[in-house]
Amino acid sequence: MLQEVRVGLLPALRDARGEEVLYEIRTALRIETVEAVRTVKVYRFEGIDAEAARFLAERLLCEAVFQEYRVNEPLITDADRLLEVAYRPGVMNPEAGSLLKAAGDLGVEGLLAADSSVEYAFYGRFTDEELATITRRLLVNETIQQVVREKPQTLLLGGERGRTGIIPVRTMSDAELVALSQDRLFLNLEEMRLIQEYFRKLGRDPTDAEVEILAQTWSEHCVHKTFKARIIVDGREKKPFLTRLREATARVARPGQVLSAFVDNSGVMAFYDGWALCGKVETHNAPSAIEPYGGAATGSGGVFRDVMGTGQGAKVIASTDIFCFAPPDTPPGEIPAGCLHPHYLLRRVVAGVRDYGNRMGIPTNNGSVHFHPDFRAKPTVIVGAYGLIPAARAQKGRPRPGDAVVVVGGRTGRDGIHGATFSSAAMTDRTMTVNAQAVQIGHAIEEKRMADALLAARDEDLIRAITDCGAGGFASAVGEMGAETGALIYLDRAPLKYSGLAPWEILLSESQERMVAAVAPEDVARFMEICREHNVEATVLGEFTDTGRFEAYYGGEKVLDLEMGFLHHGLPQRVLSCSHTPGEPEEPEIPVPGDWEGVCCRVLSHLNVCSKEPIVRVYDHGVQGTNALPPYGGVGGAGPNDAVVLTPLLDRPYAVVIAHGLNPVLNRIDAYWGGIWAAAEAVSNAVAVGADPEELVLIDNFIWPVPEGEYLAQLDRAVDACVDFSLALKLPFISGKDSLSSTYRGRDAVIHIPPVLCISVFGRLPDAGKTVSADFKGAGNLLVLVGDRREEELGGSVYYDLHGELGRSVPRVDLGRLPAIFRAVHGAIASGAVLAAHDVSEGGLLTAVAEMAFGGGCGAEISLPEKTRPDFYLFNETAGCFVLELAPGTAPGVLFAGVPCQVLGRTVPEPELRFSHGGRPLFTAPLERLRAAYRRPMKEVFGA
Amino acid sequence: MILRTDGTNCDVETAYAFEQAGGSPRLVHVNQLRAGKERLSAYRILVIPGGFSYGDDILSGKILAVELTSFLREEISRFVAAGGLILGICNGFQVLVRTGLLPLGEIGPVRATLMVNDSARFECRWVRLRVEESPCVFTRGAAGRVVEFQVAHGEGRFFTDAATLNEIEKRSLVAFRYVDAGGRPTQDYPDNPNGSLNAIAGITDPSGRIMGLMPHPERNILRRHHPNWRRLKDYVPAGRFIFENAVAAAKA
Repeated sequence: MLQEVRVGLLPALRDARGEEVLYEIRTALRIETVEAVRTVKVYRFEGIDAEAARFLAERLLCEAVFQEYRVNEPLITDADRLLEVAYRPGVMNPEAGSLLKAAGDLGVEGLLAADSSVEYAFYGRFTDEELATITRRLLVNETIQQVVREKPQTLLLGGERGRTGIIPVRTMSDAELVALSQDRLFLNLEEMRLIQEYFRKLGRDPTDAEVEILAQTWSEHCVHKTFKARIIVDGREKKPFLTRLREATARVARPGQVLSAFVDNSGVMAFYDGWALCGKVETHNAPSAIEPYGGAATGSGGVFRDVMGTGQGAKVIASTDIFCFAPPDTPPGEIPAGCLHPHYLLRRVVAGVRDYGNRMGIPTNNGSVHFHPDFRAKPTVIVGAYGLIPAARAQKGRPRPGDAVVVVGGRTGRDGIHGATFSSAAMTDRTMTVNAQAVQIGHAIEEKRMADALLAARDEDLIRAITDCGAGGFASAVGEMGAETGALIYLDRAPLKYSGLAPWEILLSESQERMVAAVAPEDVARFMEICREHNVEATVLGEFTDTGRFEAYYGGEKVLDLEMGFLHHGLPQRVLSCSHTPGEPEEPEIPVPGDWEGVCCRVLSHLNVCSKEPIVRVYDHGVQGTNALPPYGGVGGAGPNDAVVLTPLLDRPYAVVIAHGLNPVLNRIDAYWGGIWAAAEAVSNAVAVGADPEELVLIDNFIWPVPEGEYLAQLDRAVDACVDFSLALKLPFISGKDSLSSTYRGRDAVIHIPPVLCISVFGRLPDAGKTVSADFKGAGNLLVLVGDRREEELGGSVYYDLHGELGRSVPRVDLGRLPAIFRAVHGAIASGAVLAAHDVSEGGLLTAVAEMAFGGGCGAEISLPEKTRPDFYLFNETAGCFVLELAPGTAPGVLFAGVPCQVLGRTVPEPELRFSHGGRPLFTAPLERLRAAYRRPMKEVFGA
Repeated sequence: MILRTDGTNCDVETAYAFEQAGGSPRLVHVNQLRAGKERLSAYRILVIPGGFSYGDDILSGKILAVELTSFLREEISRFVAAGGLILGICNGFQVLVRTGLLPLGEIGPVRATLMVNDSARFECRWVRLRVEESPCVFTRGAAGRVVEFQVAHGEGRFFTDAATLNEIEKRSLVAFRYVDAGGRPTQDYPDNPNGSLNAIAGITDPSGRIMGLMPHPERNILRRHHPNWRRLKDYVPAGRFIFENAVAAAKA
């Protein structure tokens, strides 16, 4: 019989977690009938008696100073309703391992299994329907959780020993091949026929493991069929997207600067004193769409492992988060079938990134959130990671025949099966039910101790090659590492979370927190010892061979025997064609506003402009002791900064600058100029804090609707934008990723999610002391606008959006003039002449000046030129423009000779923004009211 | 000795803070202590740094506290009796209250706790702290000073029963309190970031040789650590004195 222990706060104490749930019930669901919520932790133990459970309650689970407990009986008896929420069987509860460990430390014997869950006590006169809504919308994500209606009989998951099936593909008709592929393999008929043909030639039918590994290796997620395809645009053949990007990098990368580009799990650039920096940015859209907490958390975990799996292993020093959602106040009726509400998504995605990064001890310092109604069908969740690695260990490792295949970290379970193939598929209204297995919740501590162990092993030179066990699991990790040699693994050696997995499931499982290392035979013993010392499980699965084949056994039975050549090169290059038809949105007529302060407040409280501080505050910025420019600074921490500055070598002043840029709505109008804007914005953010525009590298992330027809043509233009930007600025791309499935096909609707091109940028600077923040430093200083813009280009701007318009005139950043502007701004900051700098982006000049003033605790007076239209002047969003506060005695004409520069006005001691137009007062707005508008939207969502 | 275990994550910068203060820190995994490969008696200062030891499962710091009191009870008691210094920062503070070492200096019943923040969420922000009059050697000579440190935690609300609180106050065991812009202890968010009783941010034991605090002094030992170092001329990093005092006391 299971023993149950319930632990709750003493009745007299506030239950902050319960109040948090109550807040969400009231604000997100607008249900007013619930008066109070309290929470109880429920622990279950199998294999011990009630006395032992009582001992655990006293010594481990409950602290009498503020808590009380009951064994095998309810704790709260006066609630109107109780509801217990637990993970579904098979979903790894990270707490279970800690319960077993601590019980063992306390000398409790016989404990077989443990679990924990949460019981909610509701008070009030709510209806059953209201409670059902609360349960469904807030408390239970049925993908991973369930309401516990009766006490479970056992916590042990059992199962028969897994078996291998044979798939008779040789005799299948086309219809049968398509049926086999649907919801499982996600390959098209042509690809299925290739598999059929291959096995007809071999004269045998494949095992399920072989079919699955082919589907996985050939998935868009892993092989990037579109980015490697021949592209024919308007009848003219162009080079594949990936080739174009790589050729640009080859042309612009300076010797000694880029150490590794596009070949490893992350791209590497040189740092100083024998160190190097690496960076990788990933998306985790599909998992986050169906289970946002776990999806975002494991997205972070995966990108951290990409950095950990670079060269012979890097230390992760920073994390970034960039999200796109529908507005949090979208009416529930507008959410398509099978999709979750954005209010829930936003809060849970943030919580997932928070818990993984914070627990790993990785500062999350740079990010942004963007909103557009069409993200209601699928959010965009982008997570980046940056690492520090000795330059001598920064090259991708190559296993040698005879090296051991060692799996390190977490155990293998059924979770995440088909993640790679699923990520490559468009969402449908069946996605939530059919693909629920593709999601898990993540275990940051497992990954943290693995990171500690791997760095120790790297420093003893025990790792020949290492890679993340991500999408595609062992199949992908071992298959890719052994592509040039061959590999032989024994699947029954893999440590499992529970029995009953079929061999193909072990091969394909995407259980998190696992990595695969190639370790020379003579180093295996020491490698295993280091892992043991860090409480990390490590197992020799097999070895790399010289056969050129990928072979796997399970209990003596050969379940996989494929040529690496067919696996990796069997897929023919695709040929894709499209034609580009420019859209014809109208340029709207916008009246000049009368209520200026009102317009400014509406711009500042636009979701794409407003403060994201409640999100930023839940991420640890300071861990590792490296932060030299926080996300928010200035007086009262009220001013946002453009980029993060880190000093990863504590005793050196060397700085890393990390920033990014994106503006999805511009791509709806024109993906070329939208792409240029994103890249210019990314670099502007870095340059605004002092980065050297010649010491930066770029990472691309394309999150695009299924690339057919016009969307393929737009993707082609976005790639061209990246290439043109790279060549003009002489900045290399060193890593990138595409996710081309942002199309939702429901029963009655097709939704194309706005195309996202996110450009991330990172670079080095010899002295963090020569960086600058965005907050005004005092009154009486000169303000200038540096940069090139045509004020009437407002297409896709927040200002147009407030009028319900999209417009056509995307700002066209002049790539010819941009390098000189960046150099001038960098030079001015490096010379010490700039007290504060901020780039102009969403919300325009008005927003830039307001944000600088919020952090400065002082105001500004700005004179608009006579000939300009004041609203266009204030709200134009051209990237590559900067507002700078200059030190007294600085002559802007000298400092910015040869680049566009105009004097805006001065900082003033009064906490207000004063604008004049052609010498006549236009309006004055108090900072307090502007800041209240700026802070309101996210305050409402997060309650802070 | 900077003690590490699964989920420790402020160990490197804490070691650096001690190096800067003239100490010779070593990172030691709890497994090395349990296996007898390292001995506490070879060190003068035990530091339990910030992080999420064992995921902060059940209660923050609880699993490590159970591990220490189950396997290293005698060794720690001898270390304390011999005048060893113990510092717990953030997660380390949580561990120390859960071993009983704070506030009363002995492994034993849990007399105080650190609850979920009033805001119910993890928060990272800079706060003002006043150094209190106490027997604490880590804050020696600094009473009355107001410093700024970063907090980064989800479970930092100091709480205890009325009798223990009374004892803590009567014996002057409060080392740090959250204060407002006027330097007055406050219960108001966000100056008091978690709702701690009596604005308590850190406490010491009666001997003054054990201290725990939620804010992170190791994140304020370089000029560039302060979020507004660009606005502050001649800024002296305010976290250094704690480590310097510790090293001085350990060498004395």
